[in-house]
Amino acid sequence: MAHGIAPIGIGNEGRQVFWNADSFELFLFLFTGIAMVIFAVGLFRRWQMWTAMGKPEIRMDNVNERLKLLWRNGILQIKTWQDPYPGVMHGMIFFGFFVLIFGAAFDATEFHITEPFGIAFLRGKFYLVFSMIMDLFGLFVLIGVLMALWRRYILRPDRLTYKGQPDSTPDDAIVLLLILGIIVTGFVIEALRIHVTWQQAPWEVWSFVGWNLAKAFAGVEPGSAKAMHAATWWIHTFIALGFIAYIPYSRLMHIITTPANHFMTTLKPVGQLEPIADFENAESFGVGTLEEFTWKQIFDSDACTRCGRCQDGCPAYLTGKHLSPKKLVQDIKTYWLEKAPAAVAAKNAAAGDGKLAKLGRILDLVSLLGKYKMAGEGYQPPAERALIGEVVDLHELWDCTNCMYCMENCSASIEHVPKIVGMRQYKVLMDADFAPELQLTYRNMENNSNPWGVGSHLRADWAKEVGVKTLAEDANVEYLFYVGCAGSFDDRGKKVSIAFAKILQAAGISFGILGTEESCCGDSAMRGGNEYLYQTLAQANIEVMKAYGVKKIIATCPHGYNALKKDYPNFDGNFEVYHHTEIIADLIAQGKIKLQKPVEGTFTYHDSCFLGRYNNVYEQPRKILAAVPGAKTVEMARNHGKSFCCGAGGARMWMEEHGDRINDARAKQAIDVNADTIAVGCPFCLTMMSDGIKDHSKEESMVALDLAEIVWKAMGLEEEKAPVEVCAAPAEE
Amino acid sequence: MNIIACVKQVPDTEAQIKVKADGSGIEEGGIKWVMNPYDEFGVEEALKLKEKAGGDVTIVSIGPARAMETIRTALAMGAEKGVHIDDPALNAADAYTTAAALAAAIKGLPYDIIFCGQRAIDDDSAQVGAILAEILGVPQVTFVTKLEIDGTKVKAVRPIEGAQLVIETSLPCVITATKGLNEPRYASLPGIMKAKKKPVEAKNAAALGVSTDAKSKVAKMIPPPARPPGKILCADDTPEGKAAELAKLLREEAKVI
Ligand code: SF4
Ligand code: SF4
Repeated sequence: MAHGIAPIGIGNEGRQVFWNADSFELFLFLFTGIAMVIFAVGLFRRWQMWTAMGKPEIRMDNVNERLKLLWRNGILQIKTWQDPYPGVMHGMIFFGFFVLIFGAAFDATEFHITEPFGIAFLRGKFYLVFSMIMDLFGLFVLIGVLMALWRRYILRPDRLTYKGQPDSTPDDAIVLLLILGIIVTGFVIEALRIHVTWQQAPWEVWSFVGWNLAKAFAGVEPGSAKAMHAATWWIHTFIALGFIAYIPYSRLMHIITTPANHFMTTLKPVGQLEPIADFENAESFGVGTLEEFTWKQIFDSDACTRCGRCQDGCPAYLTGKHLSPKKLVQDIKTYWLEKAPAAVAAKNAAAGDGKLAKLGRILDLVSLLGKYKMAGEGYQPPAERALIGEVVDLHELWDCTNCMYCMENCSASIEHVPKIVGMRQYKVLMDADFAPELQLTYRNMENNSNPWGVGSHLRADWAKEVGVKTLAEDANVEYLFYVGCAGSFDDRGKKVSIAFAKILQAAGISFGILGTEESCCGDSAMRGGNEYLYQTLAQANIEVMKAYGVKKIIATCPHGYNALKKDYPNFDGNFEVYHHTEIIADLIAQGKIKLQKPVEGTFTYHDSCFLGRYNNVYEQPRKILAAVPGAKTVEMARNHGKSFCCGAGGARMWMEEHGDRINDARAKQAIDVNADTIAVGCPFCLTMMSDGIKDHSKEESMVALDLAEIVWKAMGLEEEKAPVEVCAAPAEE
Repeated sequence: MNIIACVKQVPDTEAQIKVKADGSGIEEGGIKWVMNPYDEFGVEEALKLKEKAGGDVTIVSIGPARAMETIRTALAMGAEKGVHIDDPALNAADAYTTAAALAAAIKGLPYDIIFCGQRAIDDDSAQVGAILAEILGVPQVTFVTKLEIDGTKVKAVRPIEGAQLVIETSLPCVITATKGLNEPRYASLPGIMKAKKKPVEAKNAAALGVSTDAKSKVAKMIPPPARPPGKILCADDTPEGKAAELAKLLREEAKVI
């Protein structure tokens, strides 16, 4: 074999590739070829299925940005590492395999490419380190697989179930056993080789796993060891080739789909929803059938690994609702697998004589793989099911708070929320079939531009007490304070608006409000599927804001903040939008306001989803609390990107809740860390947390406050009003 | 089946009503106009009946140009066509004149059943449906909370104090709808889009050949007096003392006991 290559020995350590197996090469090529064909056929069919359905969507632009995402999430797997056990488990398998495959490629390169030219690079120190690394990473894979088996079949964490029902499939076990088989047989082969050759090659001690395992074969005759070696070699080869061939037909497909999905992640701002473009001429609105998803939304479900990370922090799931984002994605996948064969056949038929179509049809005919069988002869498509109502039940559809936990934490960059909103759009805009309480909310928003339905003429009444001017009175201000509905109409919200206005006044910031010219931001309509109403409201706001030449906006409600910042630009409403916690943190940092009065207590900050996960505002609110003299702060177990929703987002604020209440679950988490104040930066959270405190009968010892209220208190500029003594002085007539 | 639903555009229940300085009416600026909620029950019932028995639903409304929005709302919910009686002379029409104008418009249309709201929430007169039936000479059931129609047989439930009447009559008839009859639907977006193109026929009093002379006229509108502030009982701090003070005030000042 080796032409003119220095013999292996001390100082030129190495090993002979295909030791004891050099006559197998031809067969190996043959079987590899077969495995590759099976792999390619599977992949081709899957490709056809990915491209057979769904509306167009561009996800291949801006390749640089996408490569970064691929690197971060697909290669480094940042999200996967965030949970220690599964992170380590998957990391060991993934990186172990990665290294082993590179090692195998090294071996193959040397053997097939460089050796024939007289170059052997796997020699000497390099070889020794190489062998050690290979054994080490092989060991990692082994540990990882054992961890996976232990976790899936013994520990059985809830996230690998749906409400306690394990959702493991035989596929899960097959895949793990295949990997286990590859590694174990690999080590056995190595051990048997070392057992036979260790005297000539004492450096093999660097292959430390094989070296130690070799001791198990002590006493085995070299002849039988060689025979065993050959047999194990073939077993190893078959398992490895089987593994490759199995990829497109199993969960192993995620090796391809998941990184692809990271690459194709949306580059739009977090949580931005694609607006419906043309109400006048569109035939259908929202997603009522599988075909009305975009191809990427369908592809998403094929990238899902059933890891359950999304489910682990889904407020709906954790409070016993029907919805599990994992199940939702998997149900869509199952549905797609049912429907895609017919779609592929139809597409092939329509494509006529294209080469690919022909190939597809040939594959249809020779199809032997029942589950993914294309619509060839004798194919029985499964019974027709409706996407909404059957595949995704109505509870699931409406349980979602749009909290973004699933998307933020999904290890496959799956985009759940736009799918849910898309289906809601169908129910609202096409069927006009949705919860009566939400219908009332929408009517209120239509008639009085606020979800409560309070007369719109009362919108600016809160401001009378603090003397805030409207832009109609004075448009020459730096900031527009977009008050929003809660800040204008809700009693608790009004107090926050007043506190914040006073802070701005004390800091000498020039600002104004729109008064009765302000409209509801439309967030609840948008996320509740009423895109038409949302756009009407958004346009009204944008028109007024533009007419006054507004440039900078501050919102106290993260829903308005997010809509104005992310979604209004879709309608040419481009403003610099800030949340009041950003502004307050800034005023404190610049010394424009002084927090001097101690506010005693143990504070825990509840991250509003629309502030945290949607807008990455995590630190400003915490900085504000840290600046409050006397305040002790604690974090709840779920915080920052893993924070737990209050239950009000995604129009849930206005809907009846079944099962345990999400706000009660969150309030409990605050009680668990002995907080006496839940600090929030969102009027919805404020309501939800206040109610949660009451539901736990803790109103005597606990309170929910907006950060603006806490800051205003700590500024100590206002004497705290003594409770009004009604009988103190006789009323003057 | 030919179904007619009469609708009126009224100020939103939450709107701030201000009487004009001269007392001739209300300030209309800034008011959000909506379909009278009781009329919505009528429209919904009309649509349900159509969906069950076939036919089409015609919306009839009297009002200035803005009333067209309300007609379109009903068309968006699913009605087929509309008749808009727009005549400045009818703007101050009383219940009788209104009913007469509606009757004149409806006479020209084929009809099996006519729905009205039991009353409009602006003037609260609760007469138009009844007068309309009288003029047309057809039976009427008012304040209906449940309706069953079988062929030409009509069975309607009308609550009265402490009981319910089940009234039977036959088509054609006038039904005035009240809360409980149904849950009005939310218009679908295709419905809203299609409504823009549905036919609405414009009529005026002359074309209908009706008199615009109101039998009764609003002489003057006066806002209700501002509510006096509440009173806090302070004379005695014990519950007994407060109760005694309250009883005294109710007898002597409020004169209610
Ligand atoms: S957005 Fe939140 S509530 Fe909705 S599915 Fe995802 S995790 Fe669950
Ligand atoms: S959707 Fe994402 S987080 Fe949820 S199970 Fe699938 S891959 Fe995991």
